[in-house]
Amino acid sequence: MARLDIQNIRKSYPGVTALDDISLAIKSGEFFTLLGPSGCGKTTLLRTVAGFNSHDSGEILVDGGRIDNVPAHRRNIGMVYQDYAVFPHMSVEDNVGFGLVTRKTPKAEIAERVARALALVQLGGLEARLPYELSGGQQQRVALARAMVINPRILLMDEPLSNLDAKLRVGLRDEIRDLQRSLGITTLYVTHDQEEALVISDRICIMERGRVHQVGSPHDVYARPATLFVASFVGAMNVFRDIAVGPGGEVRLGSAAVALAGLAGRSRVTLSIRPEDVTIGGSPAGEGPALRLEATLRKVTYAGRDALYRVEGSGFAPLLVHLYRPDTARLAEVDTRLTVTLPVRCLHAFDATDERRIDLRP
Amino acid sequence: MKNARVDVWTLVLAVSVGVIGVLLVWPLTSIFAASVIDNRTGDLTLDNYVRVLTRPFFQTAMLNSLIVGVGGMLGALLLGIPLAVLTTRYVIAGRQFLSTLAVLALVSPPFIGAYAWIMMLGRNGFIRLGLESIGIEVPSIYGFFGIILVFSLKFYPFVFLLTASSLGTINPSIEEAAEGLGARPWRRLFQITLPLVFPAISAAALLTFVLSIADFGTPSIVGGNVRVLATTAYNLFNSEMGGNPGLASATSVVLIAMSLVVVALQRYAVRRRNVAGALIRRPVPRRLGRLASVVAHVVCYSIVLVSSLPSLVVIYMSFRKTSGPVFQPGLSLDSYAKIIREVPHVIGNSATYSFIAVALIVIVGTGIGYLLARRETVLTGALDGAFVIPFVMPGVVLGLAYVVTFNVPPLELTGTATIIVLMLFIRRLPYTVRSSVSILKQIKGSLEEAAISLGAGPAQAFLKITLPLMLPGIVAGGLMSFITAINELSSSLILYVGRTMTMPVRIYLSVLDGEFGTAAALATILLFASGLAVYLIFRVSGRNESAFV
Repeated sequence: MARLDIQNIRKSYPGVTALDDISLAIKSGEFFTLLGPSGCGKTTLLRTVAGFNSHDSGEILVDGGRIDNVPAHRRNIGMVYQDYAVFPHMSVEDNVGFGLVTRKTPKAEIAERVARALALVQLGGLEARLPYELSGGQQQRVALARAMVINPRILLMDEPLSNLDAKLRVGLRDEIRDLQRSLGITTLYVTHDQEEALVISDRICIMERGRVHQVGSPHDVYARPATLFVASFVGAMNVFRDIAVGPGGEVRLGSAAVALAGLAGRSRVTLSIRPEDVTIGGSPAGEGPALRLEATLRKVTYAGRDALYRVEGSGFAPLLVHLYRPDTARLAEVDTRLTVTLPVRCLHAFDATDERRIDLRP
Repeated sequence: MKNARVDVWTLVLAVSVGVIGVLLVWPLTSIFAASVIDNRTGDLTLDNYVRVLTRPFFQTAMLNSLIVGVGGMLGALLLGIPLAVLTTRYVIAGRQFLSTLAVLALVSPPFIGAYAWIMMLGRNGFIRLGLESIGIEVPSIYGFFGIILVFSLKFYPFVFLLTASSLGTINPSIEEAAEGLGARPWRRLFQITLPLVFPAISAAALLTFVLSIADFGTPSIVGGNVRVLATTAYNLFNSEMGGNPGLASATSVVLIAMSLVVVALQRYAVRRRNVAGALIRRPVPRRLGRLASVVAHVVCYSIVLVSSLPSLVVIYMSFRKTSGPVFQPGLSLDSYAKIIREVPHVIGNSATYSFIAVALIVIVGTGIGYLLARRETVLTGALDGAFVIPFVMPGVVLGLAYVVTFNVPPLELTGTATIIVLMLFIRRLPYTVRSSVSILKQIKGSLEEAAISLGAGPAQAFLKITLPLMLPGIVAGGLMSFITAINELSSSLILYVGRTMTMPVRIYLSVLDGEFGTAAALATILLFASGLAVYLIFRVSGRNESAFV
């Protein structure tokens, strides 16, 4: 249990800024996720905390004490890798006990702690197995037990679920979450999978090209994305770029227009709305103002518990409409004309140039 | 943590750079300097090069080197490619047996083959006499015919092993797709299969060319009056007139240049030819029709058995009765008694030098391999570059360079055992470094990091995690180094004195003196030692023939 402070970390390689003045304060016991596309700097940052990458400037502190000048092997940080990194020539037991042996822990204590850790990850009874006799999921559990048994101050995980198949991924994801919560280990987790990040994290930091776009709870980043990048990266989003704004904040999509007080005084804006916020047909009463667009259905993607409509119309970009629990009988035919409704309370607005969020409800 | 990378590996890097500098770069510089400095006046001059490039004496040697290089290369390709294609694509009975024999042919030194062919096809060779008795004239083994015959039969296993392992990694769907599109077998072979393994074939061709022009023993034993650059450089240096280091050095530099040009040509030829595909299935050998199968078996077994013939002849001859230098009918241990009586120290020397050299190679080679694979810096880049040098530096040239460099203070080593051990060490080091790098590439870097994050220091992480995983590869590499070290002739021939004579040198001198019994007995011991090493390599690396190239 320890708090982790990352202060003004910078790192550049020739021609690339890998980490551009990153500052994060991670609370004790928090499950904190770095989320972003590949090349955004999330893994570089994680490895800098672990001590495997050097940085140009800035400090890393654990419980207020600097660790960025401590060699990696003395940082007391556990690490779990995408490729498991289970030592192939050692039994499960020796793998998990490795960190305790390097700490010169008494033999009896090692045996006891290893057994407990293996029980925690539900690998009891497999002590003598060699890694090649284990499935990918089991190997990752070994890696998890190995990282946790040393009681690390911080636990780092670098896309630990990426190499597993979809079903296993969901199962182990929940297990990691429960384990972390029960042990209360401060965890820094890296993933490019936004759904995984939303499900598993206390807070998420969304990164792109070495910069932090937003830090917030899963609900924050999904419901109130700070930038257009966050809006599009986390969840699906219909985007209408570079819309002209009238003097009173009037915006027009196709034949529909609405005045948004928050936009008054601006000239151009980018609007967006999530597919699940768009409805088909006229909106029920009491929903507040909305944009009603005349459109043609171009494509229907049916996926069982939900379906996606792709609709097009003149004067606005094609958009997706998400239908939850679609009743097959009611799915429209392609090329049908229909009205789609965009409730104003669900619209997000971003500055057309710097793409930062504009609050529509001050 | 800007300076946190100063650890145990920084020390290894410093030592490596020192070793390479003293044992490789310095001698190379010295021999180059000797080639541009006038013997008497000490002035800077290009005279030596003018002479080497304009005099017919040298031009002939250059042309001859080119002929035996290309001849040896083509011969090896002609034997190696069919063997590789037949054994990987079609069902050939005894495939393992064939490749084991090919490996055994590979590890015995070329000059032993040369000398065995003299016993078979020389002036009094038993095959020649046998064929003549039924009226068949065989061309003289002395000259180009002999040299190219020996090279082809000696170096084809490189082509075979490299091509076969590359053929094993082609996705069979590609060949099946060609077949589905209507390509007949021959067309498929020439338009699809062989182009896909071109990088391997061209690498093998390069290797056989470089080995052919570098080889000293074969042309000097069966060359007759065909002089090549390697023998010319040796003779110039060793001539009774006191030697001419300037000319010998210039000849050596020309020899190096020739190898470098071929290396460059090969690199150019395989540029943008990365055809490694995703391997979903392994190719499965097909059954041939009855007639085709018989032909294929005859071809494969002829190639492999003929190439094994020299070793069998040498072993047989070593057990023949002798009277002085002459073989007598009947079997005996005369020759072995003689070598134990007369040259026991030679056997001891070979064993001692090889063991020490191999120990050094394994330790230093693993360390440098680790640096190159895991710690990329400007300095490691330079180290990697330096390792091309021994590959294109024939043994004669390295021997000359060592004499030129180490016969004067500060490091006066000529005549000592140390210089021979160091030479063996540096000749084989690059191969071990390269194999360590490729072993390390298969060991994920995250393993060592995981160990470090669990509290192991860099040295401890290496010793506990990476080293144990590298061990089978290191042992196999060490045994390979042992084979080449114990069979090394040309550099030793230049560097030895009576006390430090090794088995290959003694065999060579015995052959020149007509002491065939002694030569055969010593050569048999060498073959046995090499065979034992091959057996051990198979044991540790699980029968992976490609470990030998």
